[in-house]
Order: sequence, then C-alpha cells, then structure tokens
Amino acid sequence: MALKVLAPLAGAIVGLADVPDPVFADALVGPGVAIEPAADSVEVGAPIAGVLVKVKPHAFVVVADSGRGVLVHLGIDTVKLGGEGFEVLHGEGDAVAAGDPIVRWQPTAIRSAGLSAICPVVALDATSVEDIAAGGVSRGDPLFTWV
Amino acid sequence: MPVRHVAVAGAEGLHARPAALFVKAATDAGIAVTIGKVGSDGHADARSILAVLALDVRHGDEVVLRADGDDADAALDRLAALLGEPDA
Repeated sequence: MALKVLAPLAGAIVGLADVPDPVFADALVGPGVAIEPAADSVEVGAPIAGVLVKVKPHAFVVVADSGRGVLVHLGIDTVKLGGEGFEVLHGEGDAVAAGDPIVRWQPTAIRSAGLSAICPVVALDATSVEDIAAGGVSRGDPLFTWV
Repeated sequence: MPVRHVAVAGAEGLHARPAALFVKAATDAGIAVTIGKVGSDGHADARSILAVLALDVRHGDEVVLRADGDDADAALDRLAALLGEPDA
C-alpha cells in the first residue's frame, strides 16, 4: 500500500544525488529527496504518522505501522554541532501524527557555522520512491510516494 | 554459525554514515548477517538500515555479528574490522 511522505519543512527541492555527502548522494541510506530549507523553516514536522523510533537533535526516524521508516536528517555533518542550536520536542518512542513538530532549529545558524543546511528525507530500505515533488514545497506538502 | 564480538569504535556509534557503510558491506557480503547488542536480545538484520539505526548502537557498545553461508568467516572479519575502526 502506497505511503505518502510529506515535506517536513519548507524549501527548495534538491535531488538526493546533489546532496554534498556520498552517503545520501549514493542512496546508501535509501532513496528519497532533499530540501534546501527556507531561512524561516525553523520547525520541522514528522513526514509520516508513526512512532519516533530514533531522535537525535540533528536527525530523526519515524516508523509507520507497516514497519516502513522515514529518516529526516537536518543539514549535512550537523552531528558535529553536538545538538547545539537544535530543540527536540519529542522523545524516542512517542507516537506522532504526520506534520507534528519534532525539532526546532535555525537553518541560517547552520549555514553560519559553515555547514550545509540541506535536509535529506529518505525512505529507509526502500527500493525506489515516486511522484517526487519539484521546485519548492511548503511544510506538509506531498514530498514523495513510497509505493 | 560463525560469530564475532566487536566493540564499536566510531565516536558517534552506528549513526547514519557509519551505519550506511556497515549495511552496504553486509549487503555486499551476499549472505544473511545479523547484528545485536551484547546484553540485549534483539538480532537485527544487518542489511536493513532501519533495523541497524533502531538498535541505537553507541560508541563503545559491544555488538555480536552472526553470519551464515559461504565465506561467512571472511565476511564477518571484514564487518568486524569496519566497526572496530575509529572514525577517520
């Protein structure tokens, strides 16, 4: 059954192959798409409904009832920031609805720190995804479909 | 079934980048490989990035790798070496 994955934040669509990190660009983590956040995209929402199986300040994974998991990774190499500048709004194990705010951050602060603020959104262990959005998205817009 | 115990040396444990490299190596081995944390019951499919991320392996955690099939020992040696490497 197809899973509709929503944009966690507003911004410009960037192909995963163009993300400045081979782990994402080579789809080692899975297929998906990335978003270059708008400067005021400070709140990041859950891309699907499910359980927050993993939450770090700079990344989180929501797993649907079907067992499918979607990873949202805020910026590239942002693990180096050690959580500074990120406010986590939920705990691991929490059930969340699609669109529920999960993390607050400042894309502009990430860029000031010399890091990329691009956010890969990845369908973990998926073979492929379809109907990928193009151009720009608002938070909550359809981002891609996991068939 | 061949088994290895490894203490995970990467500073951030098995998070996105090291997890992805581990899963790719496990998948490339072409045989069934599982990974579990010493002291807990779960055995995750080492070829599933979601299963590996959900294990939440931290720096210093000891993990058990199991593999079954042709060249299981060689595959486990490679995977154990990957996990035992501190980050570059």
